[in-house]
Amino acid sequence: MEVVPVSVGEASRAWDEQHLDLDAAAAQIADADPSGFTGNVRGSATRFLTQWERHAESLGTVSEQRADGLRTTVSDYVTSDEATRGDLVRLASYLHEVR
Amino acid sequence: MTTEIRLPPLPRPVPALTCDPGAISSCGADLLAASAQVDDLGTFVAGPARLGDWSGDAATAYHRAIAPTGRRADAMSLALRGVAHRVEEHSAEMQRLLDRRAGLEDRHQHLAQQIAHLRAEVATTTVEGAAELQADCDRVTGQVQAYETDLDTWASDLATEESEMSQAFTRVLDADDVERLYGGVADPADDALRDKPAAGASPTDVHDWWVALTPAQRRAVIAASPGSIGNLDGIPAAARHAANTVSLGRDLADYAHTDAAGVLTDDERTWYENARAADDARREIEGRHDPVTGEPIVAQVYIYDPAAFGGDGAVAISAGDLDTADNVAVVVPGLGTDGESAPYQADRAATLYESTRALDPSASNASMFWIGYDAPDNAPWDEGVDGAGVVAETMATAGGERLADTIDGLRASREDDPAHLTAIGHSYGSTTTGHGAHDEGLDVDDIVFVGSPGVGGDTDHASDTGIDPDHVWAGSNSRDPVADLGNHGWVHGETVLGAGLGDDPAEDDFGANRFQAESETRGGLFSFGDHSKYFDHDTESLYNISHIVNGDYDAVQHAEHIHDPFLGGPHDPEYDRDPTSPATSTLTP
Repeated sequence: MEVVPVSVGEASRAWDEQHLDLDAAAAQIADADPSGFTGNVRGSATRFLTQWERHAESLGTVSEQRADGLRTTVSDYVTSDEATRGDLVRLASYLHEVR
Repeated sequence: MTTEIRLPPLPRPVPALTCDPGAISSCGADLLAASAQVDDLGTFVAGPARLGDWSGDAATAYHRAIAPTGRRADAMSLALRGVAHRVEEHSAEMQRLLDRRAGLEDRHQHLAQQIAHLRAEVATTTVEGAAELQADCDRVTGQVQAYETDLDTWASDLATEESEMSQAFTRVLDADDVERLYGGVADPADDALRDKPAAGASPTDVHDWWVALTPAQRRAVIAASPGSIGNLDGIPAAARHAANTVSLGRDLADYAHTDAAGVLTDDERTWYENARAADDARREIEGRHDPVTGEPIVAQVYIYDPAAFGGDGAVAISAGDLDTADNVAVVVPGLGTDGESAPYQADRAATLYESTRALDPSASNASMFWIGYDAPDNAPWDEGVDGAGVVAETMATAGGERLADTIDGLRASREDDPAHLTAIGHSYGSTTTGHGAHDEGLDVDDIVFVGSPGVGGDTDHASDTGIDPDHVWAGSNSRDPVADLGNHGWVHGETVLGAGLGDDPAEDDFGANRFQAESETRGGLFSFGDHSKYFDHDTESLYNISHIVNGDYDAVQHAEHIHDPFLGGPHDPEYDRDPTSPATSTLTP
């Protein structure tokens, strides 16, 4: 098994941040108010907002999956026979999702 | 013999148009802020997400897997940005259509009145008057036809605009459409940012770079990388405002979501509070009205950084357009100021704007509160640290340097159309302004010190500011205890202990113009309340500051200086004068 550097743990955290940010973007799109448009436009505006809330959520989900995947990589490595005690100390804090 | 008169046809009424351009614009702003967030994912995948020190099969698989995510994020951010920009244009176009509709409605009403009048005339006309009346009818018929043509054009333009806006929404509804239209498309912001002057470049170089970009590149940079230009000196105020609005909208959504998820950190909570204060400040200004036009006052977010200065935050917002105003005032606050005090400072900036406009409706104005430095925001007995800085000049020295940078930025973005620019330092802000002038050579036309505890230890005379002393001004309420802290005469804290914040600019030896700044509601011997009245409507202080800002120097009401005789304490002739209340909130006749 290849050595897993700390950067993998750090990247998992960064993907978590992307997940949070994209969920926030999805909420912002969902909360955008289409009431100012004329009746002829409001329908397509509302449909767009609904659809794009899902698009942003989807990107957030992908980000979360990347974070989880990297955490699994870290976990597999530190529980393998190839990890040194030093590896354990360096990577232990990245085994769990902080937020 | 009867004569037949052909009356004009009745004009069609103007159809109703129900929309809210302000709400449309707000919707567009939300989409633009969200697009910036999506753009960040693309930037992340292209940069920090790539792990150069990780190798092996797992690493290869990871890097292969994230590439499509980056491409998808880039395409989605471009698509969402495109729609957001179209929504902004739609907002402006709908406002124009509303304005045109109002004009058509006026014409319709006028024509209907004319036709009713002609109908009455026909009933009573004589054979002799028939030809003249027919000519009148024919003239009005021509006007009705022109109106009908314009009405058709307006209705057609409205239908076209609605159709194009709807198409902009529907053409990128699905992920496949987004990929087909934007997959692999280069972001116009990328080339623009590649040529951006390096950190530390002069405002002039920054401005030259910005004006050389195409309009499409500028809009792309604002959307994709608002943080790179929002606080960059040399960028025009309108562009900074647009960028900072994106950043602010994104932050508010981000922190609100993180808070709701229960994972907001302590630092983020502080930044969130600063962001909300900046938003409140902007709304405070936008909620006020220009006393001349009756229109809402334009707000421009010139600086926005909620995490600056260890979480104190940096924010500067203007009431009025900094890019075009004839007269620009920059108000530098002092003790007790941090990002959370932005709404309070916004009230002052808006009040100053109203006053300057009311006193000279012929000039355009912009008044900006500037929390662009780490001001003393905490009393030392409360929280230590910053408050301790009040008695020293360290924060004023650093703040003066930043103030000079801001002034240079304002100047650089208007090289061909310079404003009459006034720096106004209040309280410790006057110490900061004094340092900016003495240490950095503030490029302003006038300097105003109000409620000053001292203008810096090295500024012993108005001429030390680098400004013609005729254009250095001091306002000091005789009851203001903070204004009494400045050094007077020969013997004071600085000469004895090396302490203090410098000389009182209202003293005769200093050589500045002192203007009247008493308040009809002033307190007794000393009253801290009087330290906060300099920007209140209908006060001597605001009246005189406004005339200085407007360059109407002859209208300034001068006051006798404080005098400190060799024997005895300082004497303030203003102490016994009856204060007045000159109007600043209403238009002068």
